[in-house]
Amino acid sequence: MADVPENSRIDSVLDNPGTVAIARVYSEAFLNAAGDKAAEGIEEFTSLLQDVLAANPQFESMLITGLSSRDEKLGFIDRVIAPHSSEFFANYLRVLAQHDRLDLLKEILASARLEFEKRNGQQRVQVVSAKPLDEATLARVKERVAAAFSFEPIIEPQTDPGLIGGIVIRVGNSVYDGSLRSWLKQLAKSMHQGSLHEIQSGRDRFSHPEGD
Amino acid sequence: MKFKADEIASVIQKEIEDFRGQVETSEVGRVLEVGDGIARVYGLQSAMAGEMVEFQNGVRGLVFNLEENSVGVILLGPFRDIKEGDEVKTLGALLSVPVGEALLGRVVDPLGNALDGKGPVVTSETRPVETIAPGIAGRQPVKQPLQTGIKAVDSMTPIGRGQRELIIGDRKTGKTAVAIDTILAQKGGDVICVYVASGQRASNVAAVVEALEKNGAMDYSIVVSASASDPAPLQYIAPYAGAAIAEHFMYQGKHTLIVYDDLTKQAQAYRELSLLMRRPPGREAYPGDVFYCHSRLLERSVKLSDELGGGSMTALPIIETQEGEVSAYIPTNVISITDGQIYLEPDLFFAGVRPAINVGISVSRVGGNAQTKAMKKVAGSLRLDLAAFRELEAFAQLGTDLDKATQQQLDRGYRMVELLKQPQFQPLHYADQVFSIFAGTNGFFDAVPVDKVLEVEQEMIRFMREQKSEVRDAMVETGELDAEALTAALTEFAKTLEGRFEEE
Repeated sequence: MADVPENSRIDSVLDNPGTVAIARVYSEAFLNAAGDKAAEGIEEFTSLLQDVLAANPQFESMLITGLSSRDEKLGFIDRVIAPHSSEFFANYLRVLAQHDRLDLLKEILASARLEFEKRNGQQRVQVVSAKPLDEATLARVKERVAAAFSFEPIIEPQTDPGLIGGIVIRVGNSVYDGSLRSWLKQLAKSMHQGSLHEIQSGRDRFSHPEGD
Repeated sequence: MKFKADEIASVIQKEIEDFRGQVETSEVGRVLEVGDGIARVYGLQSAMAGEMVEFQNGVRGLVFNLEENSVGVILLGPFRDIKEGDEVKTLGALLSVPVGEALLGRVVDPLGNALDGKGPVVTSETRPVETIAPGIAGRQPVKQPLQTGIKAVDSMTPIGRGQRELIIGDRKTGKTAVAIDTILAQKGGDVICVYVASGQRASNVAAVVEALEKNGAMDYSIVVSASASDPAPLQYIAPYAGAAIAEHFMYQGKHTLIVYDDLTKQAQAYRELSLLMRRPPGREAYPGDVFYCHSRLLERSVKLSDELGGGSMTALPIIETQEGEVSAYIPTNVISITDGQIYLEPDLFFAGVRPAINVGISVSRVGGNAQTKAMKKVAGSLRLDLAAFRELEAFAQLGTDLDKATQQQLDRGYRMVELLKQPQFQPLHYADQVFSIFAGTNGFFDAVPVDKVLEVEQEMIRFMREQKSEVRDAMVETGELDAEALTAALTEFAKTLEGRFEEE
């Protein structure tokens, strides 16, 4: 298995919804248990993934995959991680190990971040534009979004030249499409409808009003 | 006519000048997986069952399954270029089809797109594909006849307007032929016909369209086609789309006839979708709600109350059986929903009895009220007579010597069976049917050799039409049978036959 690239995950491939649902449960439990130290907890969690696991892929595979048994994993946590981490976080990892959920670490962290932001009245907002927006424009967009919604937006700017112009704002599952692309589509549609109506009324002039 | 280019140009210019783009708000999800005609979508948290969704490439879909973490969508178009991760947005509308006069004479797919190469269907009216059938207050009993033009049907299993009469039989027994003859019989009448082909061979549909065109029936007919090569979702919704098209006319107070050809294939398409959607399979692997799938469709056939305009929708669903097995799942379901069935048998078909209707087990549960008085009178005892004849025939095969009366009864029976045969695409007016059956039951054909009965019948009908038109007109006008006048006329006709068959 050594020739499998480290990051074999393809971006366009979506996470399994079942996994996401399980990760959500564990992330909520994590935040609830951390209480008011949630921010530090997330920082520690991020550091574990970035500084320990990403730096030592072999250790990661020992910890995450089924190569080692549950007891061995608990041993790793006790010997390697626990001496350097907070007691709370070590306990949390032990719980994950007990339930064979260490493979969900990344999903749990991503979900915990989103949940933490939500609890602080923040939400991710993707702003897609045809060209990169400057700081001032982004600030204005942020202001307007904050005024329209009851949360504090965290703007994630993206670019898509296909939009031609205008912006598309995405909040959760909702999309507010103010791009030139969709306006052109609307225009084409209404022109099509209008022409069809003209053709139809032109044709009706020749037919008997009570049908033939 | 020519379109004035500047007229159109000015419309377009005005359109552009007045155009104000609007921010489109929609809910989106992402495709998790795509399969044969289905997709699972992540997101779309507020999607509703039966709502339409649109994929990135413009293909429409229908929300079919709502699950905890994803939404199951059936695809109503080509699904080859839908990829994982594609955006899907809800349209906040139910699936609708274009309806109206513009559809008459057209062949369309279940979404209302033209398939006949005669240009787009220009109509502004649409109607949701799935609607709830009218309640009890919106209906009235079935009491107006719908003439099928087929002697064996109109006499013994009469169909009323608003009735659901199942046509059931093995493959190649002439099920579609019965339905097509019924459509042809509506020529010159006030009934609009819709023929729905679901899962049929495209060549068969083409043949049906050609037959309708050739016989001048396309003027009042609409063909909705989802052939065997169309994806399962289209085959599944085709009957509902056809019903919506017919309903539009029905609610205008018009009479409609709809043929579902055939519901076995539609149930199979539904089974395919349900299994792909991982709904639990039940008997014969059909999902548990396959009964509801057919019952809600057939309940939409009604005779509306006078307050609602008195329109009607008569349904002729078709079911194909395997080796005459009527106790399979789908046939029993549909038999129990419909108001009777016309049972076609391969044995009869190959014995030359066409239409191959087994009159013994074909029934019509409400049609009797909807029979014209004249027909009721002449056909009243026909079914019993034929049953008695079948019994006698079986007995006679034992080779015992028969007395004269029994032999006579047998001879009469053979002629009646012969009389109920009818070539395809030749529906008969009910007055002519009454003459034939009256003549048969009253022994006017007894002197005619069995193989000449149909020929003589044609002559008789021509004779009545040309020389005794007053008798025929009186019957068409009143619907009553004047037995004396008819007997007199037939006696006169019998005289023309005297001596003709003696030497044979």
